Amino acid sequence: MTDATAGTVAQTTTPPQRRSWWRRLLRDRAAVLALVVLALIFAAAALAPWIAPYDPYASSRKVMLPPAWAARGTMEHLLGTDPQGRDILSRLLYGTRLTLLIGLSSILIGGMFGSFLGLLAAFYGRLDPWIMRVSDVLLSLPAILLGLALVAAMGQGIMPVVLALIISTIPDCARIARGIAMGIMKQEFIEAGRALGLPDRQLFVRYLLRNAISSILIFLSLRFGQLILIAASLSFLGLGARPPVAELGMMAAQGRDFFLFAPHIAVIPSVLILIIVLAANIAGDALRDVLDPRLQT
Amino acid sequence: MFSRKSSLLLSAALAAALPAAGLQAQEVKLARLIDSNSYDPHKTTATAAAEVLFMIADTLVAIDSDMKTLHPGLAKSWDISEDGLTYTFHLRDDVTFCDGKKMTAADVAFSFNRWIDPEVKSPVAWRAGQVDAITAIDDTTLEYKLKAPFSELLYQLTQNFAVVIDKETVDRLGPDFGVAGFNGTGPFCWGEWLPRDRFTMTRNPNYTWGPEIYENTGPAKVEKITWSIIPEANTITAALMTGQIDATNYAPHISLDQFETMPGFVVSPSDSARYTYFVGFKLDKPTVSDLAVRQAMNYAFDRVALVEDQFYGKVLPAYSYIATDTLDWSADVEKVLIQNYDIDKAKALLDEAGWSVGSDGIREKDGVKLKPVLYSLSGVWPNIIQALQAELLKVGIDLELNVFDPTVGWGKLATQEFDMFTMAYPYVSAGDAMNLYFRSGNTPAPNRTNWKDAETDAWLAAGSAALSDAERAENFGKVLYKVHEAVNWLPLYHAPIIIVQSDKLKPMTAHPIYGAAYYKGLGIEPAQ
Repeated sequence: MTDATAGTVAQTTTPPQRRSWWRRLLRDRAAVLALVVLALIFAAAALAPWIAPYDPYASSRKVMLPPAWAARGTMEHLLGTDPQGRDILSRLLYGTRLTLLIGLSSILIGGMFGSFLGLLAAFYGRLDPWIMRVSDVLLSLPAILLGLALVAAMGQGIMPVVLALIISTIPDCARIARGIAMGIMKQEFIEAGRALGLPDRQLFVRYLLRNAISSILIFLSLRFGQLILIAASLSFLGLGARPPVAELGMMAAQGRDFFLFAPHIAVIPSVLILIIVLAANIAGDALRDVLDPRLQT
Repeated sequence: MFSRKSSLLLSAALAAALPAAGLQAQEVKLARLIDSNSYDPHKTTATAAAEVLFMIADTLVAIDSDMKTLHPGLAKSWDISEDGLTYTFHLRDDVTFCDGKKMTAADVAFSFNRWIDPEVKSPVAWRAGQVDAITAIDDTTLEYKLKAPFSELLYQLTQNFAVVIDKETVDRLGPDFGVAGFNGTGPFCWGEWLPRDRFTMTRNPNYTWGPEIYENTGPAKVEKITWSIIPEANTITAALMTGQIDATNYAPHISLDQFETMPGFVVSPSDSARYTYFVGFKLDKPTVSDLAVRQAMNYAFDRVALVEDQFYGKVLPAYSYIATDTLDWSADVEKVLIQNYDIDKAKALLDEAGWSVGSDGIREKDGVKLKPVLYSLSGVWPNIIQALQAELLKVGIDLELNVFDPTVGWGKLATQEFDMFTMAYPYVSAGDAMNLYFRSGNTPAPNRTNWKDAETDAWLAAGSAALSDAERAENFGKVLYKVHEAVNWLPLYHAPIIIVQSDKLKPMTAHPIYGAAYYKGLGIEPAQ
């Protein structure tokens, strides 16, 4: 019987407009464009080994060829080659793959821990001060500084960067999740659930988590763009992947020395970072507009 | 209120007046990438310090840009005793410090004794030889007594560590000497130092004792020189193109072709290169301890391609550990140099030595994967070592690259954690280079290859103690032969010093000494 009751309660909290949220999303042209671009980039990154025209690590004597549309450019290397004579398009595909993988894995792990802690803090009031003070401490550490410290301790590589991103996501996400959960905890259905004598675990998962999850996911989609940017900055500083692995921030850093004479080497990966972050932000924003019940009038 | 017309006229007049004003003021602006930690000649080995010290102070002996011919400096002449133990320097009597005080042999004796004073802990004290006593006989005679002959002494005395400084200033400034002030006898005087920003020096108007390698032996033709620190090669290029600076020897190689063809600029490389870039092997590590592996790497890396693709042909491919026109280079060594790029030979060498290709394409032998670890510093290196990594992969060697920021990198390079390392160094002569890197007493740094060989030590000692040029060359030649035969390094390239300057200045000759391209600065003068 309790199951049926819980189901009814959850249903009544769902606004009726929600069923057509994707229709409203489709009306937002910028959001559609951003989602299409993101989908293309994700697809290209996932398919990198099959669609890359060259081995991204194979060097050649054809160094610093400009892109095909510039003078001296060739169709053989559409985006030109880097100072080692490696095909920039192939490196870009592999680099995007790694950058997205870093962003996704840290957002998923960091988001999971962060939202769990945030919900826990809202659910059990006595844990709240402890969890929030710890997250305040973590909040005070900038991700870049954390990355530097972790690289100093663990050595250059992708793991310390992912770890830094996870640690910097946890407190942000915990704060947001706690805020959302506090609002839900004040709702009557929670009291109703309590009055019915539901166990904590069920209250937590079915009443709290289910109602909070969409708002948390929206926050994470917005946060994703920031994480990509921080990851790229860290590897631009030489803290991320080890050469010859391709990573967008590192590729931009490598091109910096040749900026006056072969700007495409730095500009192409930088523009791709810009596109990914912009698309992720626009898409996240649009999702929030259509999904967040608090924004609906 | 200016009308529009008059303000236009004004700016036209200003534009016309500016170049002339620039010449009258005679301030020359030079740019470089990094600053020194100090300008105390005995407390730093930085090239950035050498650049300034040669201009604000003088040495007893001067050296020509061929890095072989010696010329009188503060010493008019010198005598060497039969046993090679006593050098007597006859000094000029017309030399004054920047503060106007007369320079005497006592000042020289003070400077040299401070150089070798154990309390000063100079990292370059060994360059003075095994000194018995350095004393001023009278105002113009200095006696330099050695415990053992030191054939390199006169060459070492041309370097920036051997400049003459003023005792009173040293005593007055204490630890701030070379930081807050200085007092030397150079063509320029200490102006102001803002660390990591700029260093200014002003002309010493009384200077007339410049070395004879310059047409103008003093005073300098410009009133003021400002050295700016611009830590980005691209920004240096832009600053030079827009006229914010007048000359630099740190323009990136990629920009040189453009400067050569651009009106208003002159590019002048030094005649000889005395700065060599190389990869060294730790000879006692399981992978690179095998001679065949080291030889294979030398065959597998195309130095000509490196020089053309990464340096646009502006540096020289290196197969030897010092440039072959260096003092005491031995032609015999050419027999053991690996000069040809031959991938098949590299593979054959590895096969013969039992390094067979595994399933992942990487070679292994007795369970050891051929995966040497290389330590390097950020800056020019990442591009070079990535090229090396890609080339070595073609013969089945998987090089693991670790690039460090110089702040931690130098410490890392003094450990035994790695199999290979990168390094670049300036040198005067074969003896200078070989003593630095191959004396067993110099492990783990600067002898980072762990080359410990009694015969080498004996030859180095014999070469240093040699009484004749021939004897010195013979001994250092033997060392050169042995370390090349054993393939201690993978030499990469010899870099000449290249000055790029505006044509508002007379074309200069770049001097290779310790990377200090302008040497005494007496060649810096306005074109008119």
